[in-house]
Amino acid sequence: MRVSNLITLLVLPLALAIHIRVSIPSSQQLPHPNSLPASTHATLTTISNTYSAPLRADNTFDFRNVSSGSYLLDVHCHTHTFAPLRVDVREVVIDEVGSDKEVNVWGTFRGNEWNNKGEAVQAQKEEGTWTFGVKVQGGKDYFIERAGFSPLGLLKNPMILIAGFSMLIVFGMPYIMDNMDPELKAEFEERQKAQPNPAANPLQNFDAAAWLAGSTSSSSKKTEVLSNVERGITR
Amino acid sequence: MRLPINLLALTLSILPSTLAVFADEAYNTDYHHELLGLPQPHTTFFHRPRSDEKATLLYTLSDLGVLGAVHPGTGKVVWRHVLEGEGYLRPVEGEGTLVSGTGKSVQAWDGMSGRQLWGNSFAGQVKDVEVMETVAAGEGEKDILALFEEEGKAVLRRLKGGSGDVKWEYHDATEDLPFQVSTNVKDVFVVSLHGARGGYNVKVSILDPVTGKKINEYTLTTKGDVHAPEDVLLVGANSAAPIIAWTDKLMKNLKVNILGKSGNLQTLPLKESDGEIVKVTIHAPDLVQSLPHFLVHSHSAVSNRADVYHINIASGIINKEYELPKLPGKGALSTSSQDANVYFTRTTQDEVIIVSSASHGILGRWPVKVDKTHGSFVYGAAEVVHKGTDSYAVRSAILTSEEDWVMVRNGAEAWTRVEGLSGAVAAEWAEIPESEDLAKTLEAEAHSNPLSAYIHRCQRHINDLQYLPGYLQELPFRIIGSVFSTDIASHKAGVLVRDNFGFNKLAIVATQRGRVYGIDSGGHGAVVWSLKAFDIPTGKKWDVKGIWVDSSNGIATIRGADGEYILVQTVTGKATEKMEPGNWPSVQSAAVVDSPSGTWILPIGVDGNPGEVPAKWAPKENIVVQGKNGEVKGLKFDVQGSLAVPITVWTFQPPIGQKIIGVTSRPAHDPVASIGRVLADRTVLYKYLNPNIVLVTAVSEESATAIFYLLDSVSGDVLYSTTHDGVDTKQHITSAMSENWFVYSLWSDILPTTSGLLASKGYQIVVSELYESDVPNDRGPLGANSNSSSLEPTDVANAEPALPHVFSQTFLIPESISHMSVTKTGQGITVRQLLCTLTSSNSIVGIPRTILDPRRPVGRDPTAAEQEEGLFRYQPVIDFDPKMILTHKREVIGVKDVITAPALLESTSLVFAYGIDVFGTRVAPSAAFDILGKSFNKLSLVATVAALGVGVVVLGPMARKKQINARWQTA
Repeated sequence: MRVSNLITLLVLPLALAIHIRVSIPSSQQLPHPNSLPASTHATLTTISNTYSAPLRADNTFDFRNVSSGSYLLDVHCHTHTFAPLRVDVREVVIDEVGSDKEVNVWGTFRGNEWNNKGEAVQAQKEEGTWTFGVKVQGGKDYFIERAGFSPLGLLKNPMILIAGFSMLIVFGMPYIMDNMDPELKAEFEERQKAQPNPAANPLQNFDAAAWLAGSTSSSSKKTEVLSNVERGITR
Repeated sequence: MRLPINLLALTLSILPSTLAVFADEAYNTDYHHELLGLPQPHTTFFHRPRSDEKATLLYTLSDLGVLGAVHPGTGKVVWRHVLEGEGYLRPVEGEGTLVSGTGKSVQAWDGMSGRQLWGNSFAGQVKDVEVMETVAAGEGEKDILALFEEEGKAVLRRLKGGSGDVKWEYHDATEDLPFQVSTNVKDVFVVSLHGARGGYNVKVSILDPVTGKKINEYTLTTKGDVHAPEDVLLVGANSAAPIIAWTDKLMKNLKVNILGKSGNLQTLPLKESDGEIVKVTIHAPDLVQSLPHFLVHSHSAVSNRADVYHINIASGIINKEYELPKLPGKGALSTSSQDANVYFTRTTQDEVIIVSSASHGILGRWPVKVDKTHGSFVYGAAEVVHKGTDSYAVRSAILTSEEDWVMVRNGAEAWTRVEGLSGAVAAEWAEIPESEDLAKTLEAEAHSNPLSAYIHRCQRHINDLQYLPGYLQELPFRIIGSVFSTDIASHKAGVLVRDNFGFNKLAIVATQRGRVYGIDSGGHGAVVWSLKAFDIPTGKKWDVKGIWVDSSNGIATIRGADGEYILVQTVTGKATEKMEPGNWPSVQSAAVVDSPSGTWILPIGVDGNPGEVPAKWAPKENIVVQGKNGEVKGLKFDVQGSLAVPITVWTFQPPIGQKIIGVTSRPAHDPVASIGRVLADRTVLYKYLNPNIVLVTAVSEESATAIFYLLDSVSGDVLYSTTHDGVDTKQHITSAMSENWFVYSLWSDILPTTSGLLASKGYQIVVSELYESDVPNDRGPLGANSNSSSLEPTDVANAEPALPHVFSQTFLIPESISHMSVTKTGQGITVRQLLCTLTSSNSIVGIPRTILDPRRPVGRDPTAAEQEEGLFRYQPVIDFDPKMILTHKREVIGVKDVITAPALLESTSLVFAYGIDVFGTRVAPSAAFDILGKSFNKLSLVATVAALGVGVVVLGPMARKKQINARWQTA
């Protein structure tokens, strides 16, 4: 039974011949289809029937004498990818209305069943030739750039940014102070005197060697300072 | 031991980057010979792609059917198309268009962009194409005349120049061999050969160009001088007076007829100067406005000379005008026309001269400065430019006897294309032999007594001191080179040396024209040597059955189908031994086998019979051959006295209706790093690692099925088989096998009977993995036996063989795969990559095994355990990401086979592809983990160290001073 079906399938293609023209319209991804390489070609494939057509100067693919069948249309291009299409070519059914189309085109999805058709693509018959367009999916990018060392990339690191900012404060502050208006400077100094930095870092004058030696230097220093003050007062 | 999941996820995320071609490595590690094939004398010419500009391109339709345009200044290919075999190519003067006729189709091409303008195919074979010249200019595109042979009869069609549609058809009633079509402005001439092979007469039919109706017909009797179509030297193209010419049997006279003049067969004597004339060629202009002059070039064995004739159109009389004197050796003559002027360019070994067809005065003369290794000039196409009064320039693209295509510009060599390398039919890797001197001396020292060995060693070291200054001189360059150099394995041009990484190897390539080439994979694929192995008659191809390289003595053995073989030194390309075809029995295939006397290449005769071999050369293993009717047989050599006789152990005949189209086995070098696959729960799936398995591909055309059988090559048992319905058996069905897995690809379609099921249409790749058992930690029926026999797997008599458990999965792919091969590395630790040749996009794609894993979970996300194994969710489609394409932006056409070889580095495998083009590269399927690649920036390392050093030097004194100050101030 399968054999007989196959034979009918094989005999059918001889019945008629249809001229199909597939065009590449210019699009956002491909503004100049003329730039496509000459090796670009399209194939119509179904079981035991394959047609191949090179890209023509007017950015079309020309398939003459296509026999009936359900074809997969692929465009092979070295620089761009194209969406595959399903092209159904059927025997002519001439009825009075003449509405039955010989060529029907839909989008198709690889890895889905063949009957799962996508959006229909309008195929027009002009002077005996069925014409429709293919969609560009995008350009092909063959290479990956190696992530190299760049000083700018280093600057993006937040730690470096924080360090740079604090460096700016440390080294920039005295300079700003020097260039300040004398009145403003006096006022600023006044204010600083009025409220001495409450959050003085206790680690700032930490004597590591002394601490390791086991002496409680900080307290002794404090007492020393205190004694100095006292001495000053006694004077 | 247990890897954290997030680390594994990280490895997976960086996975794609390890497969891709890096931008800085492209064009650097890979090499590509963009070839066309040998240009043919009648289909090679200079032509203006834009008729209003003076610049020309060089066009050719080669013997391989490649239509291409070459830039005459640089020798670079502008565009190429692979057409259906040899054919005809004509320029359309004044339009920048080319017309080709190949196979069954006639196509017009735009000369500049290489795009097709129109194409049309018909039932018959194209026999000739010609451009129909119009009388008046500006009548639109010029029409094309195409001659076909349909069912043994001539059919001439006039095709419209703009669309390729048929204007009129002329059917010849008689069964004469259609030969050529020609035209002057008034008439169209169809030349056919009347009679039988061995004695043809020439029939000329004159047609009306407007209607295609036959006006007149006449026959020229050749008196048996024309035996074959090749005997007719020329049917004049579009000159004002087209001619047909042939020589008599003894090459004493030339018979010429001006087409259209029936009774006018003129005899021109050929002057012998230096012994017998062996070859005569005729050169005539192709332009209709050119003067009706032609040149007869006659070769004797040692010299060549030429005569120039003028045709008087009114009277039809041919007169000899002058002659070009005899010159020793071979020479190429070519015609070029500028308006009415016709120039002949004569290129011999010593000089290039140009003469006008009108008079014998030499217009230009240049000494030839061309590398002698190209051989003598055979034929070429020339372009003469008249630059001013008495000032001419000439450039000619000439094919040499060594099959190089050389551009000779005013006598000097401008560029060379190694076109002989195209059409490769077989290739094999060869190691560059190591300089063994040191190894030998070390061995000698080890065997002598300690004292003399010590003295010898001291002497050797003192002797080595002479190289020290040179070494020291080179040292700074080496250091600077290693810091700044971009190339990992720097390579000196023209020197064959092994490198530390094993990247420098030789590829021995045999072409269909009987030539052998040695290609250096480390030196950007440079041709190291070439050699004409055998003279293959035109129209035939050298059928190479196998190349085997003996690395120990550096000899490559190449075996052909007609029993011929040649032994070539791999480094120098010198033939050490040669057997001409026909002296030994025909060879069906050849296999490299292991025998007690060493490895050798065993020729297998017709019907798969290797014949008897001496007992000490008997192969140790069983061999698998294909028999007369395509059946697969297992052979074993049985030693009987001094001879070993092949005995058929088993025969595998597929069911009736099935035809075996391929047999694949594991590669000879196929190391396995791990015998099992560790699962996430620390259990192991043991791999089915049988070295004696073959995959047989059979197809049934009637039922459109493909059947794959996995056979044990020792016992002939079928271990596994699978059937695919709805397969297009006309398309490529390819397979590959390695380790414990095999893959194949095919076109799968919907059958009417399966329409109710979920069916898909497209190319598929199917991967199957073999395990000893489907249960982890179980070694299957063989258990823990360290040895097993395929013939008697268990102690139980007549037990069934131990069948592997097969995991299988199908993926859909966007393109047809015409060839598959697998990367090879030294230890097999690196994950293998499947290299697939994609014909439709002219590229080679490397698919990593991690993607082609049949155990990928289907329809759900992987569990944590599966993620740990490196499995990710099954996607039915494998889209060929451009980053997976090894050939990246290069277009590699006509790849027939891809061979791989391990480098010394475990991470890297060498790849070499051949066919029409030659392409080679290195791949690192698991990333280059054992080499500091280009990602390791030596310069920044040195700069960092230097910056730290400077910092220490600058800050050191400052810190010291501060410390001292601090001491003094506190105290």
